[in-house]
Formats: sequence, structure tokens, C-alpha cells
Amino acid sequence: MVLVKRIKPLPLGGILIPLLSIVIGILISTIILYVIVGASPIITLSCVVSSLISPEIVLTFLFLTILGVALLVAFSGSIWNIGAEGQLWLGTAAAAYVALFTTLPQAPIVAKIVMVLLAMVLGGAWAAVAGILRAYLNIDEVPVTLIMNYIAYYVINYLVRGPWLGKETWGYIRTDMIPDQVKFVLIPGSTTITYEVLILAVLTIALTYFMLKYTALGLRIRILGSNPDALKAAGVNVRALIITALAISGAIAGAMGAAQLAGYLHRISYPIESHTANYGYTAILVAWLSMLDIRAIPIAAYIVSALYQAGISMQIAGVSGASATYVFIGTVLLTFTVLRVFSEYTIKIVRR
Amino acid sequence: MRSIEVISYILTVAPAFMAYYLASLGQGFFEKSGVLNLAIDGVFVLGIAVGYAAGVYSGNPWVGLLAAMAAAVLFGMMLAYVTTKFPISHGAAGLSIMFLGYGLAGLIGVTARSTYNRLVASGIYPQYTLPTSPTARILMFVIPVLVGILFYLIETRTKLGAAIRAVGENPHAATALGVDVIKIRLIAALIGYSLIGAGSMGFLTWIATWSEGAGVNHGWIAYAISLAAGRHPILTIGTAGAFAALATYMFALQAAYNLSPEIAKMIPFIVAIGAMVAFMATPLRKKLAPPLSLGKRFFKEERTV
Repeated sequence: MVLVKRIKPLPLGGILIPLLSIVIGILISTIILYVIVGASPIITLSCVVSSLISPEIVLTFLFLTILGVALLVAFSGSIWNIGAEGQLWLGTAAAAYVALFTTLPQAPIVAKIVMVLLAMVLGGAWAAVAGILRAYLNIDEVPVTLIMNYIAYYVINYLVRGPWLGKETWGYIRTDMIPDQVKFVLIPGSTTITYEVLILAVLTIALTYFMLKYTALGLRIRILGSNPDALKAAGVNVRALIITALAISGAIAGAMGAAQLAGYLHRISYPIESHTANYGYTAILVAWLSMLDIRAIPIAAYIVSALYQAGISMQIAGVSGASATYVFIGTVLLTFTVLRVFSEYTIKIVRR
Repeated sequence: MRSIEVISYILTVAPAFMAYYLASLGQGFFEKSGVLNLAIDGVFVLGIAVGYAAGVYSGNPWVGLLAAMAAAVLFGMMLAYVTTKFPISHGAAGLSIMFLGYGLAGLIGVTARSTYNRLVASGIYPQYTLPTSPTARILMFVIPVLVGILFYLIETRTKLGAAIRAVGENPHAATALGVDVIKIRLIAALIGYSLIGAGSMGFLTWIATWSEGAGVNHGWIAYAISLAAGRHPILTIGTAGAFAALATYMFALQAAYNLSPEIAKMIPFIVAIGAMVAFMATPLRKKLAPPLSLGKRFFKEERTV
């Protein structure tokens, strides 16, 4: 049995393979949940289906869309940024700094813009560190971005326990609530979705689509993914390009971090590693399932946020929602990672 | 400070040292074969839950050790197999196994803990105590170090070690020399991951019981320990010892030197990045640079028909 490269990619492979992986992944998860904790397959599957139409997934969907786009920028250039988690939390910290420790909140609109911009600068700079190490020393960005997630957690934990510790925290270790006027404005009828987060998601997709499709920078990033030698031959500064791609990716993740603070959390609680929703890691699945097509990012984000919610709503005999969510995400991601091979390869039986 | 106190301080580090050193030794050994191992944290967490569950159900901690090793090996070999057999991203495969490990650990651990509570409540279950005698703690240092020396010898003096290094540096050249890449990587996963599983069980001797999320992030500390020592079995003794002491005395350091525990937790990760820079940018790279083909796809293209 050998893998043979297809002459053309599998027709409709971009749709069939992600869908098939999701179905297979959910079935495997259902079996796992049944075997280990005895969760009835009917309940598991109905949780998944009802999550698809649950209004609770909208916020997760918007956050994962923004982060999915952030990762897509780097992944398009074959730069495997798995540090979105750290970049977004630094964005959250930057926004918290503006909201809590400057006088800007007196001008709410300016404050909100500065919160997002500073978050982008910090998230981008954090990602650029890995970019510099990759560009100049050829150090693999995967371990560096990953390790920097934990450094980011502990930096913020340090701030929240120390200089940023709030005055009215009722014994919890957390910052004060950000001022009401810089909180994002809720859409009527919703308890989680805000106008600003919606705008941010739409802007992120539109601007990134334009950047990747119609600018020289976008073209270069895409070529970086397929043929970096051609770029060098054409005289493009590949080092600067790698750093830029990672910085853009980190900046978008940082913006989502600011949105998470102003739109939903409103304060940072210690310790980050137990309060984080792990969106930065979950978004890897979103970017990956989209097959690096930005138009598919919202679809992938929708399905992943439904799986995310399905885990939380399971509530089986003492099992925390996080565990079931991880099983769903792990099985779908693993199935897809293997199956996507078949969009470009086919199995052939040969006798040796 | 009297010397007896110093010794007792050092012995207190033993469980953390055993957990971190065994796991990072296995991590380094496996990555030498060229597979980027991002599954470690999830599998480490899974090993803790499986070891705890098997210990509870069988009533014997050694069965727990074997079960933890077996579970870790299963997932490690799965990672080695899919990343070598298919042209897929090592990072994506590793992270998906990590997620799966977290999830399975939660499911298995919760079930085992409720069984344990029921057994204890009905009075038919013996309460275990952790091995805290000085002899046990000395063994927790000595045995892992002996294993480490054995691994150093395997890596440098045996055919298997040479084959693993060859596969990690350049799997295509190794194939041309008659090395079966997939077999070697599976063997590296078998050996490396059995140590990671043993490390999980060592972690249980440190934290004593399972609770939701037990061990999360500690697999990454083992990852950082291995990176910081350039995956060298002997140097890893030093980084594992230092970071185990840091983790054990995090709060004492805060009281004595006003060192924030957050900074203490950060140190292993910062040192790991610093070490990666040093191993790429200085003459140390001759000995300690990562395997050339680490994380690269290995796939022999068949001719298109």
C-alpha cells in the first residue's frame, strides 16, 4: 500500500474532507464518552446538534473567527504560529492597562480605539520575537511561540497579583472592573455580543482578505508558504517578511484579546491558566479546518464553537465540560490532520 | 545551616526531580528521532490519570506505573506512526493528541476518583502513604540518574542510538543506508514515551492524588527542561534538578527572597528560549543543536500515475 500524489487535488476535497473529519471525529468522541463515562450516545449527539443552533455559541464563534484569521495569516506563509494564546492575553493586558491606569476612559471612544491599538502593538511585538529568532537564527517558531504562551501567562499573573491587584475584589485575586464607559456596548437582546466585537470580526476578515488577495505583501506571504527560494531569487527580504507575517498574526490575536476584556470579561482574574478559554489553541483547529481559505474561516469557526459548546453542555456525572470539549476537539483535529492527506494523495495497492 | 538540613532540603526535591527528569529524558530521546513532540503535555496529563485510575482499581501502585507507561506509549507510537507514514504536520498531529490526552484524562480521572471515594467511604480500601523515608527519596534521585546514564550510553554507544540520530538528522539518507525510518521512530517512541509515562507516575508521588487538571503545564516544563539541556541526557540532570528545586520551593523562595512565584514559574521557559538561541548562535551548536530534520515531513514521493 503506497500513497500516490493525485494529478489534481480531490474534487470538492476542500469541503468533503473537513465535513467527513468532523462527522468521524464526533462519532469517535461519542464512542469514547460512552465507553469511559457511560454517556448515552443519544445524549452526546443531541448535545452536538442542539449546540449548532444554540445562541450561546455566537460569542465564541466571533472570537474564534478573529483568531482563525490571525492564524491563517501566519499559516499561509507556512509559519506555524501556535502562540495566539499568549498574544491574545497580552492584548487583554494592554487593554486593561489603558482602561484601568490611564485617564483616557474619560473619552470613551478614544479609549476603546487606543485599547485595541495598544493590544495589537503588544500582541504583534510578542509574536515578532519568535519571528526574529526564526528569521535570523533559523530557530523553529513552533516551540518558541508555544513557550512564550506560558511566559505571557506568568507575566500577567505577576501583574494581577502584584501592581494591578484591584481594590474591590471581595477577596479574589483579580483586577478592578474596567470603567463602564469603556465596556463594549451590548446588542439589544443579547447578554454577550457587542457591536464593537461584531465590527472587529467583520473588519478583520475584510482587511485580511484584501491584504492576502490584493497586496504585494499578501502575495509574498502566500509565496513564502509555497516557494521561499523564489522570493529570495526575486530579491525580497525574506527575513523581514517572516517577522511581518508573525507580527500581523500576533496583532490580530492581540485585538481579540482587547475585545475579550472590553466585551466580555471586564476584568482579569488570577491565575490566567485556569480562567482562559484556551481560544488561542482552539483557533488552531479553526485555521486548520479552513484549509487556509479565508472564506471558510467563519464556517470552521461556527462548527468548532458548536463543538466547544457541546462539551460544556454535556454535564455528565461530574465530568467537567472542558474534558468533553477536549475530546471533541482532539478527535476532530486528529482525524482531519490525517484525512486531509487524501485531498492531494490517494492510496494505491501495489504488490511488491 | 547544618548539613543535615541541607540534605533534607535536597531530598524534598526528589519527587519533582524524578517526574521532570524521567519525562524530559524520554522527550529528548524521542525528539532525537526527528519527530517534533508537541503531544507531551497531553500525554503526561493522561499518564497521571491512567496511573491513578489503574492504581485505584487494582489497589497496586506498580500496576498504575505500568498502565501509565502503556497509555503513554500507545499515544507516542500513534504520533510517530502518523507523522512518518503520512506527509502531515508534526505540530498539528502532536497538538491533537495533546487535546485528546487532556480530554481522556478528565474522563478517566473523574471516574476513578469517584470509585476511590466510594471504596474509602465503605472502609474496604487501604489508605496509601507516600514514600517519604530518606531511603525512598535517595532512590528517587539515584534510579532516574542511572536510567539517564543508560540512555546516554544507548544514544552514543549503540547501533540503535546511531540509527535514531541518523533518522533525526536526515531520514532520507538514513533510508539509503538501509535504516527503516518508521521502525526506528516507533522504537524511539516506545522507549521515550515509556519514560514520559513513568514521569507521570513520578508526578503522582509528588502531588499525592488526582484532581481535575492535575499535571497540566507540567509536561511543558519537562519539554522546556529537555530543550534547555539540548536534549543531552546528562545535561538534563542539571536542568531537571534546578527546575524541580524551583518548582518545589516556589513559595519558600517568595518568603525568603521575595521572589514572586510567577517569576519562578517563568524561569524554566525563559531559560529554554535562551538555550535554543545559544545552541543555534554559538559554537555549542556542534553538540547541542536540534536534530536537523526535527519536525520536517518525511515522505517518499511515489511517481504519479
